[in-house]
Amino acid sequence: MLLTLAFRNLWRNQRRTLLTLSAMVVSAALLILALGVFSGMFKDMLASATEQYYGHLVLAEPAYHLRRDLFSSLPAKLADLPALKEAPEITGRSPRLRSFGLLSRRDTSQPVELLGMIPELEQQVTSLQHELTAGRYPAAEDRNAALIGHSLARKLKVQPGDELVFVTQAADGSIGNDLLVVSGIFATGDSRHDNNLVLAPLPWLQQVLVLPGRIHEVAMLVNDPMNAAQVANRLNPLLPDNLKILDWGILLPEMREVIAAYDVSRMIIVTILYLATGLGILNTFFMSVMERTREFGILMAQGMRPWAIRGLVLLETLLLGCIALTIGLLCGALMTLYMQEIGIDLAEYITPVTYAGGTILPRLHAVFEPGNFAVPAGMLLLVSLFAGFLPANRAARLDPVAAVRED
Amino acid sequence: MFLSEGKKHLVCLAAALCLALFSGPALALDVQALIREIEQQYMGVSSQANTIMQVRTANWERTLEMEAWSLGRDYFLVRILEPAKERGVATLKRNREVWNYLPKVDRVIKVPPSMMGGSWMGSHITNDDLVKANHIDEEYRLRLLEESGTHYVVECLPKPDAAVVWGKIIYRVRKQPQVPEQVDYYDEEMVRVREIHFDDVQQIGDRIVPLRLTVLPLEKPGETTILHYRELVYDLPLEESFFSLRNLKQP
Repeated sequence: MLLTLAFRNLWRNQRRTLLTLSAMVVSAALLILALGVFSGMFKDMLASATEQYYGHLVLAEPAYHLRRDLFSSLPAKLADLPALKEAPEITGRSPRLRSFGLLSRRDTSQPVELLGMIPELEQQVTSLQHELTAGRYPAAEDRNAALIGHSLARKLKVQPGDELVFVTQAADGSIGNDLLVVSGIFATGDSRHDNNLVLAPLPWLQQVLVLPGRIHEVAMLVNDPMNAAQVANRLNPLLPDNLKILDWGILLPEMREVIAAYDVSRMIIVTILYLATGLGILNTFFMSVMERTREFGILMAQGMRPWAIRGLVLLETLLLGCIALTIGLLCGALMTLYMQEIGIDLAEYITPVTYAGGTILPRLHAVFEPGNFAVPAGMLLLVSLFAGFLPANRAARLDPVAAVRED
Repeated sequence: MFLSEGKKHLVCLAAALCLALFSGPALALDVQALIREIEQQYMGVSSQANTIMQVRTANWERTLEMEAWSLGRDYFLVRILEPAKERGVATLKRNREVWNYLPKVDRVIKVPPSMMGGSWMGSHITNDDLVKANHIDEEYRLRLLEESGTHYVVECLPKPDAAVVWGKIIYRVRKQPQVPEQVDYYDEEMVRVREIHFDDVQQIGDRIVPLRLTVLPLEKPGETTILHYRELVYDLPLEESFFSLRNLKQP
């Protein structure tokens, strides 16, 4: 009975209700879209840091990520450790050897970071194969093919097919040096990788460094990056003592901070937006309660209890909230879907920005994330109830005699 | 006539002696010349040397046999003879530039400014040491810190606008024969980070030089580089053209 009454009451002043409703719908939908775009940006950032270089998890000696010590090497067969092989969350494992040295062509030399890797395994972990601007990814049978960043290629003035010399200090103290042939050039937008990073076959680098059968780390990909820390915590007790799996949150502490800060700023934005929406709802229902003072008086005079009056007004706001929510979520989801599938390319206006170890790409692109729907939805209902509470209280406390006399 | 000639000489000698006595400080040690001599003790006008370099680090040890040539303070060429794997690897310094030749890939690589602080041939000697060491008397303000009966101690502080690597260098030099005993290198925070000790003092031609130097990087205890001169010949007829990129590649 109350519900039917509440529903009918809502449509007694259609214009006002529709205006309030549209304000709620628009705020919810835009909020969902904005949060989706935010999430998209952070996902791009995280992906640029992890899927272009680190991976989500890295198995190495505990201090390796701090000092990058040439001598912290491990047997290459560690990549096939049963604990890693059998973990269902791990979707890719790439054994790597790392060297810092000088890459030169004719009179030009540049300091570089060279990663020795096995092409088909590395492509399961990082996605540089999707960022090629020239040439191709090194193939399994290439002995000394190199994939290099486009800024580095420009500085060294090389094209695919050109020869380069890599010089570094080998593990036996000798001067490790050998030729590389550029097979491909990548552009990630992250200046450090585009300027510095070179990928070459693992056996080639093992020979240059005189570290046969050795690697420095196993980079891994998991199905849900946000779950990487839990996977690391579960696997670490199963590993030998001198080894540790670190997740991207430890390798890139700034990135973890950024994501934590994002969660807080999401709440702040939601609060501000809904405070405004809440005031609108409050206004609507105060007006509606004032207008109906006489009506409430009659209802009470006929024996309706104050709690029922309160319930009626609250139900009206809640109903309005639910309708707004349904339409708002739908619109928000549709807009998010559009931004996910098509997005907006900003490459003409801005260049990629590297921040906190990740790169913000020049595009607006949204992703679906449950929290981006749940938080606005929950808040919208809460705000509706809260904004309905004051008018409902007022209506319930009316003195029937005075109320009936009111005009 | 002869007598008066002799008298003249005597007068001159006496005058010179007086001058020496009264203007003692002015005629005292020329610190700059002393340091320049030390830094170029293995070079002379030109030189050729055969050296053994033993490098010991926490992770490996190795011994290299090298042949080196120099001309003045600006030209220097060194080539590895042993071990066989690195035979022919060579370094050429012309003025302030350094090139390395790598026979395995048959390429000459110029050491870029960013790598000048890097290790030379895997030792505890840097490329900068090769380039800048013999310019110490130009880029540092030198001061005699201490003088005892047997030793000089000279302090070198960088000139205000000099692009140098060390914050301070202290030379401890023996007076007779005049040879360095120890050089201490301090970083910008005035922490002593490296010592070079000299010993095995020998007479080579008309010079007296310590034939062995030991480099101790103090932040890496236990690591050393020992450079031992087995043969040293001074004042050979070497031309500038000998120190060419083409000659760098000759086996």
